[in-house]
Amino acid sequence: MKRLSALALTIWLALPSVALASTTEGGEEEFNPEHDFEVGEWVPIKLGWLDLSINKAVAYLILGSLLTMAIGILLMRIKVGSKNEPGRRQAVGEIVYEVAQTQVAEQGLPHKAIGRWFPYVATLMLFIWVVNMIGFIPLPLSNERFTVPGTDLELPTLAVYAATSSISVTLALALMTFLFTHIEGIRANGPIKYFKSWIPDVPKAMYPLIVPLEVLGQFMRLISLSVRLYANMLAGHMLILTFIGLVFVTGHLILAPLTVGAAAAFYIFEVVIVVSIQAYIFAALSAIYIGSAIEPEH
Amino acid sequence: MLNLLAQEAASNVDAGKAIALALGIGLGSLGAGIGIGNIFGSMIQAVARQPELRGELTGIQWLGFALTEAVVFYGLIGGLLAFVLV
Repeated sequence: MKRLSALALTIWLALPSVALASTTEGGEEEFNPEHDFEVGEWVPIKLGWLDLSINKAVAYLILGSLLTMAIGILLMRIKVGSKNEPGRRQAVGEIVYEVAQTQVAEQGLPHKAIGRWFPYVATLMLFIWVVNMIGFIPLPLSNERFTVPGTDLELPTLAVYAATSSISVTLALALMTFLFTHIEGIRANGPIKYFKSWIPDVPKAMYPLIVPLEVLGQFMRLISLSVRLYANMLAGHMLILTFIGLVFVTGHLILAPLTVGAAAAFYIFEVVIVVSIQAYIFAALSAIYIGSAIEPEH
Repeated sequence: MLNLLAQEAASNVDAGKAIALALGIGLGSLGAGIGIGNIFGSMIQAVARQPELRGELTGIQWLGFALTEAVVFYGLIGGLLAFVLV
């Protein structure tokens, strides 16, 4: 059973290269990894100036949300089997909970605020992890189509794409943290004391220099938080796609073992390390920002 | 080598942009590489001295790793922006 599932996984992972080969075989289309990051527009929804169309990134986000909910409910809510024995599923759920509790929440949040903000940072961690993770599973959700040989059936090709490799998604997540930071800071300290806490202890003559810098620093957090996740996922996907595409760019099949091997190595690096680290970092920094707004003297 | 690159960049705008992007990223990752090496080196030293602190240090280590590593990507995004916009 284990071997069977491993085999199925390997075939599933090997398929996208075949699909990629079949689209570039025509030779008309130049290989360009950037095309994989165009979201397109599937279901146009326009409310005046507001564009709420469903595109590839939105589809991935919906899938990610549903999966996050399913993971949360399956690992932590439903209990099966005998009443007192914790099963393997519960153990996994407890590991996730413990990482969120000790590594994320307690690192950044002051003790009194953990109860209020633990759900937010834990959800952030799990959600970003799931969205990153399904970004590395080939899914038939791309904008390119291929016809099944012998029939007229048109199917989307398998492709890897992470919703978090779109700056809009990560910026929205970072904006939430940004808003919550300031709302919580104002609520905990009062507006005057909170905004005063932005400015460090310096002589009054330094204020014209320091105050703009500190205000700018608050907005730089927004940029660094969103760009970190976005650029990591974009660069990871681009690396893998470029290495596989190198075979088609150069046209030498001899290179295939080398480049596909390199792509596989990067794939493993991304899945094992980057996906989890970025989810953890985003949640931990959110916790630290919110915590520092609640207790500015730290 | 540098001479060749400069010649190519002068004659071909696309080549110039590609060379600038590649050189920028390469030099940018130099600093981050040193930084990441520093973090893991310090982590090894710290754990070798006080193995019982490993659990607490791991979180800080990954935080530092991600913060340092992100610097490369700021360079990458800046380079890509320049590549696309100019």
